[in-house]
Order: sequence, then C-alpha cells, then structure tokens
Amino acid sequence: MKGRYQDENLKWIPALIALVILLPFMLKGMTFSYKYYLYILNTIGIYIILTVGLDILSGYTGLISLGHAGFMAIGAYSSAILVDQVGLPFGLSLIISPIIAGLFGFIIGFPALRISGMYLGLTTMGFGFIIRRLIIALREWTQGSGGLVVSSPELFGFTIKGDWANYFLVWTFALLTIVASRRMMKSKIGRAFMAIRDSEQAAQASGINLAQYKMMSFFISGVFAGLAGVLMAHTNHFISTDHFDNMLSIYFIIMVLVGGMGSIYGAVLGTIFIVFLENLIVPVVEGWLHAMFQNEAGDIESLIFGLIMFLFIIFQPTGLYGMWLKIRIYWKLFPFNPKQRFT
Amino acid sequence: MKRITTIIMFVMTLGLIGCGGSAGSPGITENEILIGNVQDLSGPMKELGKIIPAGSNLYFDHVNNNGGVHGRKIRMLVEDAQYNPQKTVVAVKKLIEKEQVFCLYNVIGTSPAEAVRPLLAESEIPLIAPATQSGTMSDMSRPAAEYIFHTDTGYDIQSGILIDYAKGMDENAVIGVIYQDDDYGENVIKGVEESEAEMGITVQKESFQRGATDFAGQVMNLMKGGCTHVIIAGIVKEPIIIMKTASAMGFSPQFMGISPTMDHRVALAAGPAGEGFIAANFAQLWNSDYDVPKLYRELCERADVPEAMMGMYHYYGFSTAIVLVEGLKRAGKNPTRKKLIRGMETFNNWDGAGTQPLTYNRNDHAGAESVILVQILDGVQTIITDWLK
Amino acid sequence: MTSFFTDIGQEIVSGIALGSIYALIALGFILIYKATEVVNFAQGELMMVGAYVNFFLIQTFTSSLGVPTIWTFLFGLLGSIIFAVIFGWFLDLVINRPMRDEPVFSIIMATISIGIVLRALVGLIAGPMSLVPPSPFGGAYIKLGGIIISVLDIFIIGSAIVLVSVFYYFFNKTRWGLAMQATSEDPIAAELMGVPVNRVYSLVWIFAAIVAAVSGVLLAPRATILDTNMGFLGLKAFPAAVLGGFGSIPGAIVGGIILGIIETISMGTLSFHHEWIKEINDIIVWIVLIAVLMIKPTGIMGTEEIKKV
Repeated sequence: MKGRYQDENLKWIPALIALVILLPFMLKGMTFSYKYYLYILNTIGIYIILTVGLDILSGYTGLISLGHAGFMAIGAYSSAILVDQVGLPFGLSLIISPIIAGLFGFIIGFPALRISGMYLGLTTMGFGFIIRRLIIALREWTQGSGGLVVSSPELFGFTIKGDWANYFLVWTFALLTIVASRRMMKSKIGRAFMAIRDSEQAAQASGINLAQYKMMSFFISGVFAGLAGVLMAHTNHFISTDHFDNMLSIYFIIMVLVGGMGSIYGAVLGTIFIVFLENLIVPVVEGWLHAMFQNEAGDIESLIFGLIMFLFIIFQPTGLYGMWLKIRIYWKLFPFNPKQRFT
Repeated sequence: MKRITTIIMFVMTLGLIGCGGSAGSPGITENEILIGNVQDLSGPMKELGKIIPAGSNLYFDHVNNNGGVHGRKIRMLVEDAQYNPQKTVVAVKKLIEKEQVFCLYNVIGTSPAEAVRPLLAESEIPLIAPATQSGTMSDMSRPAAEYIFHTDTGYDIQSGILIDYAKGMDENAVIGVIYQDDDYGENVIKGVEESEAEMGITVQKESFQRGATDFAGQVMNLMKGGCTHVIIAGIVKEPIIIMKTASAMGFSPQFMGISPTMDHRVALAAGPAGEGFIAANFAQLWNSDYDVPKLYRELCERADVPEAMMGMYHYYGFSTAIVLVEGLKRAGKNPTRKKLIRGMETFNNWDGAGTQPLTYNRNDHAGAESVILVQILDGVQTIITDWLK
Repeated sequence: MTSFFTDIGQEIVSGIALGSIYALIALGFILIYKATEVVNFAQGELMMVGAYVNFFLIQTFTSSLGVPTIWTFLFGLLGSIIFAVIFGWFLDLVINRPMRDEPVFSIIMATISIGIVLRALVGLIAGPMSLVPPSPFGGAYIKLGGIIISVLDIFIIGSAIVLVSVFYYFFNKTRWGLAMQATSEDPIAAELMGVPVNRVYSLVWIFAAIVAAVSGVLLAPRATILDTNMGFLGLKAFPAAVLGGFGSIPGAIVGGIILGIIETISMGTLSFHHEWIKEINDIIVWIVLIAVLMIKPTGIMGTEEIKKV
C-alpha cells in the first residue's frame, strides 16, 4: 500500500497489528511468568497514548509541557470517581473522562497564549503540582493521598480482568492513537502546529490563528493523557497521587525527547525504550552491581537511568527515530554511502 | 499467504503449550521456600529498608542453620518501592508473577499495603505481618482481608491509649496531634476522634504530607493552640525534625509518639530536644530480659551486627520473621497457600515471637491489641508502664 | 493584639531567612541563565551536593580535632567552595562543550538528567542512615521585642545580601561581567569580538556552583536532617527567580524574600485562622509563579527583552 506521500509505506501497519496481537501468545509460550511481561507491555501501551499526545503538544507545536502527568491524573481520578462512586458505565467514562482532562488542557492553554519557551515549561510544571494538590484536597472523593482502589472495566457486558484481557484493551487504544495521530499530523492541523513551532510570527503572517491552534493542541494532548489515565486506573486497579508526580512528568518528556521530538513513531520508540530500560535492563545491571551496593536498589536504578538519559541527550539529540532514519537511509543508499553524510 | 498462516499456527501452538499448570505451589521447591518482601530502599524511609529485612534475615539464617522448616530453607527477596503505593503494586506484581513467591511478608507502609489488596485477592496469596500498624489491616470487612495477618496493634488503638495516658498525667492537658496525611494518619485520627467523643474533649490536629521535611508552620500552630501534649504520628525523620523545630522555637510540650516513632535512635538523633519523649510499643523491648529478646541479642552478637543497627526496627524484622516461620511450620510438610492461612489461624495466645501473645482465627486477623509505653530518660529508653489496652 | 504582631513579625523574619535561601538558589539560576540562556534544573541538586560535601568535611575535621569549633565550620565552608569550583568547571565541560549548538531545550533536559544522577550518586555514597548536620552556631538566637531570630538565620540573610551584591557589581561594573552579558545576547558576535566564550561559560557555571554550595551549607542545619531530596527546594526557587525577574540579579533577593515571606505567613497565621489554606500551602509558590507570568512576565525587576525575528 502506498500512503498519500510517495515514500510512505503503509504496508507495515497491518504487520504491526498482527505483531501486537500475536505477542501475548508468544510470551505465554516462552515463559511461565508471561503475565508480568504482559503487565509491562500494558504499561508501555498506556504510556504511549500519553506520550503521543505530549509529542503533538511539545514536539509538533513546540509548547513544552513539564506537568503532563497531571492530565493523566485527572483522567484517572475522574474515571475512578465517575464509575465507582457516581455509577457511570465504563464505556461512558471512557469518553467523558478524557474530555474532562482535555478541558483542563484548555484551561492550562490560556497562559500558553501569553507565555512561551521555558517559562511555559515552568508554568506547566506548576500546574502539575497544583493539580496534584487539588486532587488531594478533594479528599471526600479521592481519598486524599491514600489512593483509590478502582474497579475493572466493563464493556459490552464483559468484565475485563487480568493482564491478558487488559493487554488487548490497552493496545487497541494504543494502536488507534498512533494511527489517528499520524493522520492528524500529516494533515492541515499538523502543518499548522509545526508552523507555530518553527516561527510564531511567520505562522501568523500565513494566516494561522495562533490562539485557536494552540488551544487545540493543548486540548488534544490533554485528551490523550486523560485516556491513558483512565486505562491505567482500571487496569492497575489502584491510583494514588504519589504516582502522578513531577518525576513522572519528566519521564514522559524524556520519552518523547529520546524517541525524537516531532515524530509519532519517535514517541512510541522512546516510550518502549525507557520502560524497557527501567524494568528489564536496569535490574540486570543492578544484579551485576549487587556485590558492591546491596539494598540501595532504587538509587542504582536512578543512577543508571540518569546516565543513559544524559548520554542519549548528548550524543543522539535527534533521538531514536533519528537514528532509525539514518540507518534506513544508509541501507537504501548502500553501497553508495557518501562518507560525509554519516559522521 | 500460506507462509503467514503457517507462522501464525506455529505461534498459537506455542501459546497452547504454555497453558500447562505447575505441580505444587509457586515458591515451594524441594529444599526452598521463597518469600517476597517489599521495602523502601531508596525513598524517604530508606534506613528502615536496610534495617528491617536485616533483622528478618538474622532469624531466617538461624532457622536455616538448624534444618530449615520441614527441611526447606527460607529465602527472602526484597523489592524496592520507595514507600510509594503505586510502586508497591508494581513490585508485588513482579514478586508474584515473575519471581513466583510463595507468600508476601512485611510489605511496608499503610497506603502501599492497602494498594495491593486487589493483587492478593487475584492470586489468592497471603500477606503475613504487613509492616504497618494500621487498624485497617485487620479490618475484616475490607477486600482480601482473609489473606492478611496483622501482628501489630492498630494506630487507632494506640492513639486512644496515648490520649488516655496524657489525661491521666494531667487532667487539664491540652492535646494536639501532628499526623501524616495518608492512610496511616487517617487511622490515627480515627482513634483520636473516638477518644474525643468518649471524653468530650477537642484535640488540635495538624497534618503534613508524606515525605515532608519542614514542619515550622504546624509546630507554630500547635504552640499557638497552647498544647501541653503533642502526639506525633510520623515515622523516623518527622519526629526528629518536629522536636528540634519546637525546641528552637522555645516550645516544649510533652511529646508522645505512635509506634513507628518508637525506635530509640529517633529520640537520640533529636538530642536534648528528644528528652522525655514517650512512645508506644507493641512488642517486647529488644533489650529486655524475655526469652526472644535474649535470643535476638545473642544472634546479633554472633553475627557481629553493628550497634547502630540494633533497635526496635531490627527487632521488628526479627520477631515478625518468627511469626512467619511458625505459620510455615503449621502449614505442614507440603505447604500450600491455603494451608499457610489455615496454619496462621490456629494461633492461640501464642507468644513465641517476642511480641504480645497473638491470637488468630477465621474472623479475627488482628493478633494484638495492647501497647507498653517507653520513655527516653537521660538518653536511655525505659519502659514506664505495663501492657495497656 | 501585640501577640498577633509578634506572631506575624516572627513569621516575617522566618520568611526572610527562608527567602534568602530561595534567593541564593535563584541567584544560581539567574547567573547561568544570564550568560547562556540555559535554565539549570540541577541547581537544587548542586546545593544538595554542597551540603553533603560540607557535612563529610566537617565530620573528618571533627574526628581529628575533637569538638567542632568555628574553625571546623569555616574549613568546611572553604572546602565546599573549593569542591564547588572544581565541580562547576567539570559540569560545564560535560554539558556545554558537547552541546554547544543544540537547542536550549535539550540542554535543559540534560541538566535535569544530571540532577537525577547527582541525587542517586549522593544517595549511594552517603548510605541510608539519617545524617544530622551540626549547626555552626549551636542553637544560639537573639530576641528582639518578642521575636526570636536564630543566629543561623541572620547569617543566612547576610550571606544572601552579600553574594547578590558581589555578583551584581561583577556583572555590571567589571569587564568580565560585560563579557558575560555580551555572550548571552549573541555568542557568535561576542566570539567575533574577542570574548573567550568558553571561558565565560566555565566561569558562570563555577559561580553558580559556589552559590549553590554556600546555600547548601547554610540550609543543612536549618533543615535539621540531610536528605538527598533537598534539591527539591531548588524547584521552588524558580518562582522566586521569575518573581524577581529572571534576568535580574537583585531580582533574586527581591523575589526570594517576598516568596519566603508569603510562604511562611501562609503556613502560619493564615493557616491558623483559615483551615482551607492548609491545603494549598505547598503550592502557594506555584500559584504565585503563574500569577506573575500572567500579569507581568518580566517580574518585579526584570526588563522587557525584544528579540529580532
């Protein structure tokens, strides 16, 4: 299949979908603790929904958000309260809760019209703190910082329980998000976003309504983050304000950065890489270092994580997707690779 | 097309093959029992993450050196959750699904332990001696309560006892409580409110967020409220900072503490500000002359445990380990998770663990309900009361 | 009524001291920002490192000399500053050279990752046991009309004023300072004009590290316990810097002190009389930040910057 643009190859979308469907079966056959790996894959899927949205906001539109975990929290808590306390059916909450998060995105978008660059980053970070505190303050519904136990999702009469079922629920949405976002970014909206990122004055001069598009960007990324929050709440069965802290927001931005800002696939790659790093690679390295530092597990994790982060930012600023593009071009041109292109 | 179909068939067959069950319980092999523990190794309470499991291992080593439990050695895995309920969920999932532990033990923190209830129910796995004294751990109306066995006296009971004692010291005592704003504090406040209703008094309440390190505002407010007795519902860092802050402000009420603050190093680190600090303890004092504390000190000496480590928390790991081992023994030669639960439920006034006599049955997983009070006098921790209910 | 005034007075004084610490951290931010347009998210962690280094130096000196005296603390301070100089130079090397031409955003993320690494390293090296830093002034305090001011706090306020003045003078009245301003405005032009841009960057990072170390040394006894999360305070200094005006050095003091007073009064008297304020105490600084950015983004003492398209 060919996409709208000549060099776009859409053949691999069905292949990707097939892979996603088959993966759980493969895992089940390979290891007895497959449920744990499914759990990690679920986490990746949920985070991908958010990071894709974040990439749209920060990568494509150039509006830095350092408080995105806040939107996820809004989606998660809204859904938990709506479903468990107000009695709304899950399917409805799946639509309403992300919209609530998107609305908060609107609210936070207002300052964005006047503030830019690093100041915007600080503002969004501040909002992250404020949202968290707000959730704790509404303790009648949210149980404060103790956290809420959340029920399982019920769709079309089925209760989705267990890592296996969660996997399919989460990844359906993840795949939809990826495909939808790519289409959006290749369309007029995406071009407007990128124009705003590259030069606000030029964009305005070309007739793009800054306010409208900026707010739209915030809304969209808020909705995605909220959706991620809803899924997380109902598959993890527990949410607490501890989780949606400043560090998580920073993790998300790092996922987008490492994957390659301004690229949907980049966000996906970045998310997979970071979660793998944290859950699979770090424990292995920890095992090697165990002799030296027993018991300080969390610190070793952070150390390795921070170092890899740092090295990546310094040596590979175009991110994983940038690396992948370089590799692809290399293969395409082989064996006629002009040396100066690949230093 | 045909190629793809073959591949898919192959993969699905693999999937079906993986569908087998296993013989015997997870975590039990011929010569080993695998226990899962979740501690704070790098977060706000990381000291405890080092000390408590060390105490547990002290006892496990002793048991393993003497033949183990029905011939099996005990091995404990510790995961780091930084006292964060969310991370605890991940850690417990890892322990259950990846490491396939037999049972969970000593998971630290009230909110974290509450967070893993759904996981306990899903895998039908018992949690012995969660490292928290919240009364909610033995609340049988909560989900998965049948899997949890609580060894400590609830915070709500403790706060009631402390308030009673304060009033006993001074009829006109004005009482204040400064508490952690989460499930731990909530349980403490529950007891406080019960006392308020019973005795017709009002207690001033100041809260702080878990992990906070600055209490100037709260202490100032307690001072303004004219409190003569202040109950601290924190853990290790908070009482130290609170007492020092108060002393710097010239405010010196009678400070009292809920059990997590009981470790003698708390008051010692507070220096002169910690003199006179009264704390509630639900186990025998580690340096007293009962059997288990004596065994504890003996083993510490033999293993060359540094003095800085010995104390209430190290002893806590030790004594809860004894409870776990006793439960495992009662589970019989071919333990399953259900048999462990049944075994625990046969405890009847059993005091072999150096705590209080513990009793469990089908409807009561509380274990213990009284405390003794200890006070720092001249820099030394001394028992000042008998078991109070 | 006097009691009310004493209370508020006490809180204001305490707030000024807290604010001075914010001011020092903010000073570090502003120094680096003024020269390189980079916001150093690891400033708080630098402060934390300074505090820990100081603690260990004092411990070693104390064990060889017996009881800590004023000299031990002075040596500790000096040692921390020397360490800061080396460390600042090292950080500049590691961050600025490889990332000379990268977008500012990436450099900022790099500083965030350095903050993570520092936190983890210090945690690993220092170990899990609680460390209580000794105060150089013991518990000494003076009393002015019912208000208690600890000598430590006086020292903190004094240091902040001194350092801010020193750097203000440096930036505006010396050649190096001028060079730094030129570099921040346009590094290429500055280089063409003969300004040793690399050295400017190094110098500015060293300054920021020194300021961080000093604030760490002063904050540690005030915070009563050493904790690797001390750096979190650094985040709170952002609103202080913005409030004062991000490019303005005296703005650091102004912003810091105002913020410190707001925070302390809100935690104290306001919370006492209005329960609901307790809920927002820890986010007051962020509300202030957003308010400032919406009303007057250049802060109290900042100047409007016009950039060519």
